[in-house]
Amino acid sequence: MSRPNGPGTGEGADLDPSVRIGLLKAMMLSRTLERACCELNPRWFPAEGEEGVIAGAFFGLRDDDTMAPHYRGPFLAYAIRGADLSRLVGQALGKANGYARGRALGFTGPAAMGIVPWVAGDLGTTIGVATGCALGFSYEGSDRVTVCSFGDGTTNRGDFHEALNLASVWKLPIVYVCQHNQYSISLHASEVLPIEQISIRASGYGMPGLTVDGNDVFAVHSAVRDAVARARNGDGPTLIEARSYRLGGHWASDPGGYRLPEVQDAWRDKDPIPRAVSELVTTGDLTQHDVDSMWDEVRQAVDAAVTVAKACPDARVEDIGANEVFADVSEGMSALRGERSEPWRA
Amino acid sequence: MARLSFAEALVEGMRHELRTDERVFLMGQDIGKMGGVMGGSRGLIEEFGPRRIRETPISESAMVGAAIGSAMVGKRPIVEISFGEFLPTCMSQIVLQAANLHYMTAGAIDVSIVVRTRIGDGPYRGHPQCYESWFAHVPGLKVVMPSTPTDARNLMIAAIRDPNPVIFFEHMWLYHGVREEVDNSPTAASLGKAAIRRVGRHVTVVATGWMVHKALEAAETLAVEGIDVEVVDLVSLAPLDIDTIASSVRRTSRIVVAHEAWKVGGIGAEITAAITEACFFDLEAPPVRVGAPHHPLPMAKPLRDAFVPDVNDLLRAIRQAMAT
Repeated sequence: MSRPNGPGTGEGADLDPSVRIGLLKAMMLSRTLERACCELNPRWFPAEGEEGVIAGAFFGLRDDDTMAPHYRGPFLAYAIRGADLSRLVGQALGKANGYARGRALGFTGPAAMGIVPWVAGDLGTTIGVATGCALGFSYEGSDRVTVCSFGDGTTNRGDFHEALNLASVWKLPIVYVCQHNQYSISLHASEVLPIEQISIRASGYGMPGLTVDGNDVFAVHSAVRDAVARARNGDGPTLIEARSYRLGGHWASDPGGYRLPEVQDAWRDKDPIPRAVSELVTTGDLTQHDVDSMWDEVRQAVDAAVTVAKACPDARVEDIGANEVFADVSEGMSALRGERSEPWRA
Repeated sequence: MARLSFAEALVEGMRHELRTDERVFLMGQDIGKMGGVMGGSRGLIEEFGPRRIRETPISESAMVGAAIGSAMVGKRPIVEISFGEFLPTCMSQIVLQAANLHYMTAGAIDVSIVVRTRIGDGPYRGHPQCYESWFAHVPGLKVVMPSTPTDARNLMIAAIRDPNPVIFFEHMWLYHGVREEVDNSPTAASLGKAAIRRVGRHVTVVATGWMVHKALEAAETLAVEGIDVEVVDLVSLAPLDIDTIASSVRRTSRIVVAHEAWKVGGIGAEITAAITEACFFDLEAPPVRVGAPHHPLPMAKPLRDAFVPDVNDLLRAIRQAMAT
């Protein structure tokens, strides 16, 4: 399983071994679950290679914090908050058991999970909404925080810039994580970004900005952890650029003829999962046998979820909910509470 | 009871909810020391302070996004977009996020926000665009346009309490142009209902905002000629209270629809289509629409006066409906 990689950055060396192992297992789950969705739905969005950013950003938050995951690889956040994996797979397939009951492409769950869902195909508006969650926390004087991820391409949307400015002016408790995979569908970042490092955009908004190796999950998590602590302490937002690479296509069946195979191969050698395995085995925190057992456990969980989801009927037309466009005025408001139901154990 | 202008009544509605519900706050530009554009938030900063009356950067999209997110975590924000002309800058948040969230999450999330804005040909010779029909077109949004101080107060309270996104249009000519006794009892109106402002037998005129007052003026003129006009104040563009309009048309058998927005694709087009479907055999004349001509609003006063529909356009339209 493990392959030799470049040396670790050394960042995150202070992380507790249980956290480091949890991060590895979170990456394994993200890899296996998202890959299963891609195999079943050719229009699902492969997150392969970017798990270091995804796990590093959303692992270890408090139960009452809010997460706003990017559309590429969103399900780990839901799993962390106790989502039923078979309902997540069902959601990606438009099955009746999906949390959105066939209404949304795929990224939603019960309000209690405290996750900003993905209900439209545009990019950038979730950054504004996530910033609003942080505004709500600031307004109520709590120390809850929001972590929001988005792609490198999305940092060219006006919504990114407006939200960062607003969050900084109001010192909102939010951490912005750019899941930099170098591609806006077929366009390489160098074609659409006039700067090498997105993190320098933070300086225009008077907030700290830092660039980390997105394929080093420990480095990502260490940076996010520090930024979360800063936000919780009332010191305002941070922009973290986590540089990675999209190993798959934009969607699962994207032939991707716009990329050089040798570049892809080079990035496959920097895969964040074997890299973390190598570090943990080297430090003696895990044996190869432990690693194999972790893979087995994750694969069994995902296989079981896929079996359940595939057996489920498609979303039913009678559940279309034409009369469920509006919330009932007579009922109380349902709001994101950020409580776990039955958490996925890392 | 207090004698209030439309603008004062709007502020009273917000003040009532700010006093009674800690979850409510207001954000927008110039709503603090300046008291809001045209006094639309006057006195609130003094009573509630900058935490709840929040001055924002010129970032309409972030403002609406921030409102949606704070509603998601249980707050009841009001966003003030200074003028309707700026609505296109926050369209994606309103249309893609606010309108979709409840349905797309199968009811998991409510978006209790109010987006208030000023429309109509105001005193500035600028910022007048009437884009309200765009929002009525989108499922998931409630769209309100009051025409009286009482409705301004009560519908503002109802909009803030509603668990859905409400786009609240405030016509600028009404702001200081109408004044009436407003009951300050806490009873809130319900959204989604039209109101009959004048009972008449011969023709139904459905109007929005300032045009309601022009329609009442036209009705008095025509009464002298023996034409008895019923005036329906649409109040709510979404949901559309077709039942109230249809029952009026079944009595009068004629309909004129009037708004300041462009006639092409305006809410009047939807109303006349819906009424034609519902009441075709009750109609004795084709429906007549009054709206702005299909070109941008010019600036100079003579051009502007020619553009904005007025009482003469209404008189002409009503006489046309009566001629058949």
